[in-house]
Amino acid sequence: MRALVALTLLLAVAASAGAHHVGVYTPRDNEITTNFKQIKFSLQARKFDVALRLFEQGALRAAMREKAGTLPAGLEAGTLAALRSGDALEVERRLMIFFAALTRELAIEADHRLADPTLSPPARAATGQRFLEAMWRYYNLVDFAVSSRDSKTSTAVRLAFDEAEGDAKTTSASEADRLRRPLRRIAQILSNLIDTSSPSPRRDS
Amino acid sequence: MAVLLAAVVLIVFAEVGGASMARFKVELTRWARGVMLARPAVHGLVGVRDVDERILDEALVKFDGGLRLFHIHAEGMGLVIIATTTVAATLVRSAPARPAIIALLTVGGAGYPVGYLLWAALIPYVGLERGKAIAEWCVWIPFGGATILALWWLTGVVALRVVRR
Repeated sequence: MRALVALTLLLAVAASAGAHHVGVYTPRDNEITTNFKQIKFSLQARKFDVALRLFEQGALRAAMREKAGTLPAGLEAGTLAALRSGDALEVERRLMIFFAALTRELAIEADHRLADPTLSPPARAATGQRFLEAMWRYYNLVDFAVSSRDSKTSTAVRLAFDEAEGDAKTTSASEADRLRRPLRRIAQILSNLIDTSSPSPRRDS
Repeated sequence: MAVLLAAVVLIVFAEVGGASMARFKVELTRWARGVMLARPAVHGLVGVRDVDERILDEALVKFDGGLRLFHIHAEGMGLVIIATTTVAATLVRSAPARPAIIALLTVGGAGYPVGYLLWAALIPYVGLERGKAIAEWCVWIPFGGATILALWWLTGVVALRVVRR
């Protein structure tokens, strides 16, 4: 009886000792998302000169130049022209296209990585989850802009994200490949969005 | 005297650790980042900047957090050792209990903060969760357990004295 009590006490002590505080991590913005927010808030405040300076000197424009090959032609020049003319809606549309393209690129890369047959189911799930987090970080910045122009596309992307997040938690070998389907769907929907938004703005709401 | 020395040395380590953390912040971060980049499989790095930057950032924030927690706990536990062993030396009269409680408080209190230093050092090599598990089983649970056990023991002894008055 005494031994049992002693063992219970020891376990309680061990549990308390293990419940230490190691801090909480809150994901931070990267230089692109930070620059986007700076420009967005400047536009909302109607400070076009500030927004123009932030775009000209910021990481967003550098990333646009770096990824020019995968973006619709003239996206950077058009954004710059819209900022110079003080056309906030046009700037928003072009930034929406840029972030949709970034998200699509990550979705395609994630699909490619998850096709690797040597990945174990837990590694596949972890990789999928990390790609989804990176994709969402970009897409959620422009979801409002997408929904205000094409609510069906916005809903379809969010549903695909939900499905992918659910599938990322699946680690059984037989179902591990399921995550690729919503990723391909996200890439397809965003490709359509980029195509329809690039030549002329589509407004159905 | 040995107890007091242990407590003071712990506080000295806390101050040196805190000062070094501030002085060598860039070097420490660069070192940790380099070690992590050399072990992509351990940290689940996939080679895509947009994905990896968040993984590295979280690990570096926790690495820095581990060093900060060592600094804070070492300072605090040094004072806890002095305060609690003073109470034990004054109020615990029975011969086997007093040295046992004092030893547990000293060893547990001095060892526990080292767990945070160990965790921070292990993060770049073995990752967040594995590093935490090692620090838990090697340091936090045995040394933290010793402190908690001694504190409950001391509480019981003090409560008994109050009741018997």
